[in-house]
Amino acid sequence: MIGRKTIDDLLSQLKSDPNVVHWHTIPKKEAHYAPFPQTLDERIKTALINRGVGSLYTHQADAYHAVMDGKDVVLVTPTASGKTLCYNLPVLETMIEHPEKRALYFFPTKALAQDQKNEMAELINTIGVPIKSHTYDGDTAGSIRQKIRQAGQIVMTNPDMLHASILPHHTKWVSLFENLQFVVIDELHTYRGVFGSHVANVIRRLKRICRYYGSSPQFICTSATIANPREHAEALTGRKMFLIDRNGAPSVRKHFLIYNPPVTNKQLNVREDESYAVTILATNFLKNKIQTIVFARSKLKVELLVSQLQKINSGRQDRAAICAYRGGYLPLERRRIEKGLRSGEIIGVVSTNALELGVDIGQLQVCILTGYPGNMASVWQQAGRAGRRQEDAVIIMVASSNPLDQYMAGHADYFFARQPEDVRINPDNIMILMEHIKCSAYELPFQRGELFGGENVDELCEYLTDEDVLHFQRGKWYWMSDGFPANNVNLRSAAQDSFAIVDITDRGHAKVIGEMDRFGAMTMLYEDAIYIHQGIQYHVDDLDLEERKAYVRKVNVNYYTDSDLAVQLDVLEEDKHADFDGGKIEKGYGDVSVRALPTVFKKIRFETYENIGWGKIHLPELEMHTNAAWISFEPALFDVFGKDVFQGALVGLSHLLRHAAPLFVMCDQSDLSVVPKIKAPHNEKPSVFLYDKYPGGIGLSEKLYQELPLLLDKASEMINNCSCESGCPSCIGFVNEGKAAKTALRRLLKER
Amino acid sequence: MIVSLTKKLQLYRKQLHDQNAASRQQAAQHLNSAEHESETDQEIQKAAKQLGAELCRFEDQYVLVHSELLPINLKIGPYLIRDLFPLVNAWQSACEKHPLSAKGLHAEDLLFFDTETTGLGSGTGQMIFLIGMARLTRNGLELSQYLLPGPGHEAAFYDAFLTDCRSLKNLVTFNGKAFDWPRVKTRHQFVRDQVPKLPSFGHFDLLHASRRLWKKRLESVRLQTVENEILSMGRKADVPGKMAPFLYFQFLKHPDADLVKGIMEHNREDVLTLISLYIHLSNKILNRVEADPEEQYEIARWDEQIGDREHAQKLWKELIPKKSPYQSKAKWRLAELYKREGEYLTSLDLFKSALCDSGDDQVPLCIETAKLLEHQFKDYTHALYYTKQALEYFYQRHPNDLDSVRKKEVEYLKRLNRLDQRIGNNS
Repeated sequence: MIGRKTIDDLLSQLKSDPNVVHWHTIPKKEAHYAPFPQTLDERIKTALINRGVGSLYTHQADAYHAVMDGKDVVLVTPTASGKTLCYNLPVLETMIEHPEKRALYFFPTKALAQDQKNEMAELINTIGVPIKSHTYDGDTAGSIRQKIRQAGQIVMTNPDMLHASILPHHTKWVSLFENLQFVVIDELHTYRGVFGSHVANVIRRLKRICRYYGSSPQFICTSATIANPREHAEALTGRKMFLIDRNGAPSVRKHFLIYNPPVTNKQLNVREDESYAVTILATNFLKNKIQTIVFARSKLKVELLVSQLQKINSGRQDRAAICAYRGGYLPLERRRIEKGLRSGEIIGVVSTNALELGVDIGQLQVCILTGYPGNMASVWQQAGRAGRRQEDAVIIMVASSNPLDQYMAGHADYFFARQPEDVRINPDNIMILMEHIKCSAYELPFQRGELFGGENVDELCEYLTDEDVLHFQRGKWYWMSDGFPANNVNLRSAAQDSFAIVDITDRGHAKVIGEMDRFGAMTMLYEDAIYIHQGIQYHVDDLDLEERKAYVRKVNVNYYTDSDLAVQLDVLEEDKHADFDGGKIEKGYGDVSVRALPTVFKKIRFETYENIGWGKIHLPELEMHTNAAWISFEPALFDVFGKDVFQGALVGLSHLLRHAAPLFVMCDQSDLSVVPKIKAPHNEKPSVFLYDKYPGGIGLSEKLYQELPLLLDKASEMINNCSCESGCPSCIGFVNEGKAAKTALRRLLKER
Repeated sequence: MIVSLTKKLQLYRKQLHDQNAASRQQAAQHLNSAEHESETDQEIQKAAKQLGAELCRFEDQYVLVHSELLPINLKIGPYLIRDLFPLVNAWQSACEKHPLSAKGLHAEDLLFFDTETTGLGSGTGQMIFLIGMARLTRNGLELSQYLLPGPGHEAAFYDAFLTDCRSLKNLVTFNGKAFDWPRVKTRHQFVRDQVPKLPSFGHFDLLHASRRLWKKRLESVRLQTVENEILSMGRKADVPGKMAPFLYFQFLKHPDADLVKGIMEHNREDVLTLISLYIHLSNKILNRVEADPEEQYEIARWDEQIGDREHAQKLWKELIPKKSPYQSKAKWRLAELYKREGEYLTSLDLFKSALCDSGDDQVPLCIETAKLLEHQFKDYTHALYYTKQALEYFYQRHPNDLDSVRKKEVEYLKRLNRLDQRIGNNS
């Protein structure tokens, strides 16, 4: 390519771009070093020096001392700050002194464990001590499994494997459990919501088995920057934690740009689609062979962006240099992408947050965020992907038109000063807890009065006895069923069963191309949906609910599909209740029953995003009991504003709250729903419900209940911040009687 | 939390119930849980009496042991128990490498062994609740069954079994290596501090042997199928094995002898069948009863694998003159064997002869013949002929499957090219 531009050229081009609404430069940060600890084995020191590590960063030394003192530790470290040494050093030091000791590492994904295994193997090799370290997961060959079980000193696995394979077969792991000294939990912040609540229970089971074998391991956790690392680590492990959050690692100078796409329709205050803007920006870097990573929030967005970006190059090989990376791909496909990124064969990757994790792909030079990712922890994790070698790094966040993004674009100072959010889990969610009581009873009988996660669970065991799952004898509850309870629990998916996506384009050679959870299947794989996988469009021919299979066929159409849900909501039990704003508004929290029915889907044209048709979805209702927080207003307001106007205001408020909620709790979009009701069934008042999208709730709505007045304040700021007249995607969305509804809602929120 | 858990339990009862339904593969009938231990103990004593079992105590636990002595003239299917004696004698003069070989053993050393478990899974939560074992003595066959009266009695259960079994070096089981034994090891872990250590373990697995001989003729190689189809035995009113866990779960709640009587009978018959099956398999292998061509062919293959080439060779030679689907296969095997021993001419004759029998294996046979001609005889012209012949046969077999034909062509192309070149070089 002639006249290839450098990153500096491109930066100066961006300087004059009117859509760049904020330019924040994060200065280069020098490293803070600490000498090697006195107690560290000479062989380890030599090995580190040989590998070019002449001294430790301060946080690495702090971690070493805390762990060697026997503390349970949580470390907060940004991307690429040498966190693995924080736990590897004390673990290896202990193994050299006491070879009989064992360590269990677990990582949220197999890929991460694989990387760590390689890194560890190199380090052990340089040290020259025969310490046996290996991964144990679905990919581990049967022939070496027994050896790892008996002699593996450091076993690297993932929570799912721990849950379904290691714990239920603990009698095969006696030497590990008898000598377990360390449990390392990497990427702690990923264990949030439903997944985190499950994992907390898996850890309770792990601790129970350790107790049985007479060990009491120390926990070493690492986390990205979140508001409550210590609290979260304590909730997850049930241990008092020592926090290390002083980071000594250096970083390069970073340019963080906020890009707000131009308004294309003044009346409606509609902005240019953020995906379009991202495509243009990314193309500029990719064309100049600058390795770029693009993050998008949904699988659908990822696929759309890839198919757009691949059009830059027409050659087959060039197309392959840009690819998608997201959950739902098969392992081999992911390995290939990770390798290509490291080697430089792949120059562009579009990812969901799967790559937020510390997968060892090295760093890229440019990172583009398609919209605010929903929480600050993700912003900094994703931004951390940029920062290669000594050169300046570029991070561009392209705001979408949703209210939260527009709020951030308009309040850049707030954005950069903003603290990361709380991470919440609810290990005592009754549905989740019950599943793990079963798994735990399968592993070891429960003694009467025994505690699980610090709570007495006799009552749950009695219930399970009535259900013919446990049998009580001589003061103990025993598993007494022919089932294997861990098989019924999938730690990662809300609805506990996943659907296989089967490509039947070639009738004779049907093949599985991915999988999806039940909720995802009902909203993305309904009959006649267009499902996009690796940039290829598929038409869904059939969704078989019983066999849990979606049959898809390759097609080439110029639209994609998007579904609508009809939601019924009933309050089962009100746990908390309060009035505020002088009794004008009431808030509540409790158990609700939600019945969701996918109703229709829209066909939306790619280039113009216009609606070009629709179809009915024929699927049964999904029913779920969960927790919700709600706000109710006086019914008299209908008369004040008029029925239609007030209804519009209520819908608009839901729109705002949905986007403001992530300012208070860290959650994925799919974890929380907001539904307006003109007449709430329990108090007959106009209300807005915010509910956890998981049976039994995971603590999100409970936190939001506490924060409700503040949540309304933020909603108020957002609506006042928007210059449109009658509602736009950046404030209340498009509602009936938009102009009047917006005025009404502003009044309602202002007069509080 | 206790208060709120109770409330939550009520609120979520229906959903939890649905969730639980998934962990039971079959709903057991609901019965009130018997919490009164002493009452249960009394009921179990009553049940023990009805089952003809003794209560063996161990610390504060106990196990039900049913023992009987069966006459050695008892008929089990086609054999008598006492047939074991001459059979074990016959093994003394046979190949000791054979996995079923009892060379150096007495008939009394064999321990026929079978278990019943609370589920087929291999995790820690599945228990063995019934062990049946039988051993020959001068007085007759001693058969003992150990029934676990409840999950809290495993120490008594394993103590009694491990004390009585003396040695586990010569277990005869059906799939014991993969199923029964790992479960014994798992559950033994839980009581290892209270009971004797697990002795070293040696094994005759009749599943493996049955699979070798009869895989092709049986729909599934299960003990009951082998019993029906091979030994022509039938059971009256048998409790299906998969029902056993549910009957046992009910017994735990209501210790009624009738609930487990059927399972014990089932286990007893399984153990006895093992005796008959061991005799039958050994007889076939030792040529004490006539084996049909398929059996003979498989026995020979097995011999070859364990390194008894001499015996394998003998069996294949016997198969060759007899008209059967195994005639050409036996030639092929024998040809391979001669080839390995360097007798290339004999080998080549056998390959050619096998080809004339026009079996299903013409394509690979042609290729094998071609390889032999090329590498040992340097006869490239004929090697080329047989390679082309292989493709010809392949076309005939798959006249419409162009894809496969193309793949085969690619596969053989290298050989064809090389042979062409060599012929060119030679001329």
